[in-house]
Amino acid sequence: MTTMKTAPPDPAPPVKAPGESRMRRTLSALGAAQAYIGLVLILAVGIATKGEMFLNETNLTNAIGAFASRGILAVGVTLVILTGGIDLSVGSLLGIASMTAAMMLAKFSLEPWQIVPICMAVGALFGFLNGAGTAWLRIQSFVMTLAMLSVVRGLDRQVSDNVSVGTQIAGADGKLTPQAEAFQLFGTPGHNLFDRIYYPVLAFIVVCVVFHLILTKTRFGRHVYAVGGNPTAARLSGVNVTAVTIAVFTLSGMLAGFAGPIDAAYSASADPQAGQSFELDAIAAAVIGGASLAGGKGTIAGTFVGALILTLLDNVLGLNAVSDNWQLVIKGLIVVVAVVLQRPDLFKIFRGGSRS
Amino acid sequence: MKKTITIALCALLAAACASKAPAPSASSGEKKKFVVGYSQSNNAEPYRAQLNLQLQHFLKKYPDIELLPIADAKQSSATQVSQVQNFITQKVDALIVSPTEPAPLTAAVQQACDAKIPVIVLDRTVNTDCYTAFIGGDNVLIGRKAGEEAVRLLPDGGNIVELRGIMSNQPQIDRDKGFREAVAANPKIKIIADREGKWVKEQATPIMQQWLAQHDQIDLVYGHNDPMALGAYLAAQAAGKADKIKFIGIDGLAIPDGGIRAVQLGQLSATFIYPTGAQEAADTVNKILHGRQVEKKQVLGTTQVTKDNAAELYKQFDLSGQN
Amino acid sequence: MTTVLAMRAIGKSFPGVRALDGVSLTVAEGEVVALLGENGAGKSTLMNILAGVFKDYEGEIEIGGEVAHIHSPKDARRHGIAMIHQELNLVPELSVADNIFLGRERALLDRKVTEARTAELLRGLGLDLSPRTLVKQCKIAERQLIEVAKALSQNVRVLVMDEPTSALADAEVQRLYEVIRDLTGRGVAVIYISHRLEELEEIADRVVVLRDGQYIGERTGINRDELIQMMVGRPLGEMFPRADGATEGEELLRVKGLHVPGDRDTGRTALRDVSLTVRTGEIVGVAGLMGAGRSELLESIFGVHRPSEGSISLHGAPYRPRSPKQAIERGVALVAEDRKAQSLVLGNSVAFNASLSSLRRYLRFWTVDRRREGAAVEQQVRALRVKTPGLRFTVGNLSGGNQQKVVLAKWLLTAPSLILMDEPTRGIDVGAKAEIHALMSSLAAEGKGVLVASSELPELLAMCDRILVLCEGRITAEFPRGQATQEAILEAAMARQQVTI
Repeated sequence: MTTMKTAPPDPAPPVKAPGESRMRRTLSALGAAQAYIGLVLILAVGIATKGEMFLNETNLTNAIGAFASRGILAVGVTLVILTGGIDLSVGSLLGIASMTAAMMLAKFSLEPWQIVPICMAVGALFGFLNGAGTAWLRIQSFVMTLAMLSVVRGLDRQVSDNVSVGTQIAGADGKLTPQAEAFQLFGTPGHNLFDRIYYPVLAFIVVCVVFHLILTKTRFGRHVYAVGGNPTAARLSGVNVTAVTIAVFTLSGMLAGFAGPIDAAYSASADPQAGQSFELDAIAAAVIGGASLAGGKGTIAGTFVGALILTLLDNVLGLNAVSDNWQLVIKGLIVVVAVVLQRPDLFKIFRGGSRS
Repeated sequence: MKKTITIALCALLAAACASKAPAPSASSGEKKKFVVGYSQSNNAEPYRAQLNLQLQHFLKKYPDIELLPIADAKQSSATQVSQVQNFITQKVDALIVSPTEPAPLTAAVQQACDAKIPVIVLDRTVNTDCYTAFIGGDNVLIGRKAGEEAVRLLPDGGNIVELRGIMSNQPQIDRDKGFREAVAANPKIKIIADREGKWVKEQATPIMQQWLAQHDQIDLVYGHNDPMALGAYLAAQAAGKADKIKFIGIDGLAIPDGGIRAVQLGQLSATFIYPTGAQEAADTVNKILHGRQVEKKQVLGTTQVTKDNAAELYKQFDLSGQN
Repeated sequence: MTTVLAMRAIGKSFPGVRALDGVSLTVAEGEVVALLGENGAGKSTLMNILAGVFKDYEGEIEIGGEVAHIHSPKDARRHGIAMIHQELNLVPELSVADNIFLGRERALLDRKVTEARTAELLRGLGLDLSPRTLVKQCKIAERQLIEVAKALSQNVRVLVMDEPTSALADAEVQRLYEVIRDLTGRGVAVIYISHRLEELEEIADRVVVLRDGQYIGERTGINRDELIQMMVGRPLGEMFPRADGATEGEELLRVKGLHVPGDRDTGRTALRDVSLTVRTGEIVGVAGLMGAGRSELLESIFGVHRPSEGSISLHGAPYRPRSPKQAIERGVALVAEDRKAQSLVLGNSVAFNASLSSLRRYLRFWTVDRRREGAAVEQQVRALRVKTPGLRFTVGNLSGGNQQKVVLAKWLLTAPSLILMDEPTRGIDVGAKAEIHALMSSLAAEGKGVLVASSELPELLAMCDRILVLCEGRITAEFPRGQATQEAILEAAMARQQVTI
């Protein structure tokens, strides 16, 4: 657009009290309501075609559980996208974290509560390097993280000798070691944390809630949006742009590290190829959820919905025995439809308003 | 700063080249040592990692043969073509190629052949006859054996689900073909669903979960490789149905996370060793370099892994600690 | 004179806003018509209709006596209408010639022809530039003239210029006027949008005033007070409300022998041996032509650039900010030159922007206390009379004056003791301008120090207790209030050596 500015009608209405529009605020924090249309449609199709088979606890847990590690990656990627960057390395970081987890278990018999922080530290370290390259060396994040994708995948394959490492480690008595037994709680299908809570689903939701709060309630969150919206203005407003940039990449890496053990437990083994192309699913979830690759726009709630759309779509198509080739076609189309649906100017487009 | 980094990088590169790639031309004076190049389609597949290990292991037995560092094409035909050309430029004495795909590698193999370099095509074929030897397994045969085992396991018939590899891969096509031919022997056996699991364990689990929700009766899972069969096993185990379903895989790798162990643990009913051909390749290279006759086409058989022979086979193929 | 353009009873509505209602405008060949009005009065909407930005509108447009249907920029171009937008529409990475012929190239580029034609156009405008120069290497004033050249290359009959002088220094403005006079001499009709009344006296044949989307009236002679009254609909009172006689406060800022290296790539001017003081309660002006180093001086005090030599002290204590963050912590604020590019996160809300620099004040444990934040922002928004539908309203949708007030709110919320202002009233309407001037006075009265850079000399003359003049990165003169005149300042701004008074 050009200089067309429609000033609000004169004279200025009194400023609304901050608490007054709680409803609108909540909605805006959750992202445009239209973002949910896609999810609702998929749920509707699922229920209409498969009813009980689709809408039951086991199936939904299975569906979300299969995507949980990618969903956690998507949260980290959303942070980076919000600052106007991109993180292509999360799939590789998940891979090396998953390998780290399996090796810690297989070689050193560490307890799960020891494994998780180690994996997170490994992910955070590589994430920090991404941030440092982007902020200090001024390498475009696309290039920096593309390089990291390759470097980390290479390291992953090197430490594993290209051989997958199992996590169901049997002791001398032929039964699983206590550590391996406990490790299964991270998400080996059929192993629940407490009675009925499947850890990957729980972890995904907790990560979403925590980062939703960080983005909406903290100063750091505001700074993330400011850096993505206008880095120059952010810097001149006293925001430490370098620190924010490094922090989001580090957090993204840390989350990939957190997702690593989940991925290893899910397959009961760490594959040297694990996580390959997960970054694309993660970015897709963020974008479907309304994040703008230009930065400054997006929410964790949106990303959560985006992840649900992707995985439930896969589930509904699978349950309906749609052929693999058509699944690819439909998934691609749904992504486009979902993104178009949540444009705030959706109706303008169809009315044919010129947007030059 | 920049300069230092550049110099350091150059030094690193030089060191890497010096340590790993002894120039073949250096030995050309006495020609006592033969130099062999191997282009592998993708190091990151466990089966191929195993193949690499075995080839290095078996070539060590011949002190006058030196294997250059294995070139990894990372699933890219273009990369592999340039690697093969690189080996031709280096004037290796023999070349082993495991093609990513037949068509793109044909010209490169032809080039080597024109340069009078003996070529052993390992595992997958190329579309030319201008090579010295082909060594590889027979995926149709393996698929058929898997099918025969399925027929044996389901004497009264039953429902089978099939997890396929990447649809466009030749092994996927062959393993499917052989299997279907064999199970047709019993008309009461039905393949009720098949989907692309892309060779990956993690892909197979959710697919199996969906099948379990859709179908009341699944009697046997046929995975085109062991990881997919095991991914399905995890899903069935979670649903409490693992005992009622039989699982058949292919590959039979002798690694802790591989198919032989899974048979030992009772997770898989059977798996079929897809032969790496490493020993045969090492043997063939040696014969070629010393001017002896070799068989042009060496099709390898398979070995069925059952609970009875698993421990023994594992010992036979396990190479950890031997290199 | 023959009428070249007639717009009759033009109307346009946006959701919730009637932007234009029955506005008519006629322009004759070789005439300069100024379009005057506060931001939001409908000037831009009217001109965008003419330029084909909108698909539909009410009313009728006649060009050269025939009805013209203008529904796309292409239609407008076909009818000989060209518009130079305030934010210049040039592609920085392309050459001058490529920019001028952008969108009209042959499928096979013919560089020789376009470059020859460009050279001819540039010569006609007295612009000494190679057609192959990349636009990003050109100064703002040059880019402005490149836009004019682009319009001329299309056989323009009506040229619309939206705030063409807002980024230009006085000498460059004169140059632009010469070009405009040359154009009108060739029969081109010019519609000129500006907020600077003094300019209109010089360049416009006729002034048309719009207010709230309606035609208010037109004048051929320029009577400032009357025009302002027509624009705002109320008598404005005194435009620059600063009273005489600054109190002698204590020393707040002292800059001594400051050297800051320049940067040829970004065109940043080097500062050389700059010394100055600002006392509490004082408004100090910084005058100078484009590229004299005004922004660089303010930015250096704000910690954006690192000095290579010299010292700064604040409240008598050494002050060496290494980032804006540290400057803000020491009670320094900078109202930057370009509010869209440097001051605001346009896609975010009023509250988001206003509290961005002072968030630490509202922290409760780890989180921002929205209630306290909202209360503080609301107080400032009220005090500055920001016209906004709410604190959650997107800043980018406010008018220029209100955007600038949000920027001021942001800085006032940090409770600064020294406020640096770079072109604080550029491109905003007269009403908001007066309010900002009043605010500057009251800040000084509260004992804060204000250092303001402006290319509008009347503004500096009216507001400042002292005026420093920069030329090529050096201070060439310093005038106390009362001794400064426009002529003396301009002379010093163009002086290479220091002028003693």
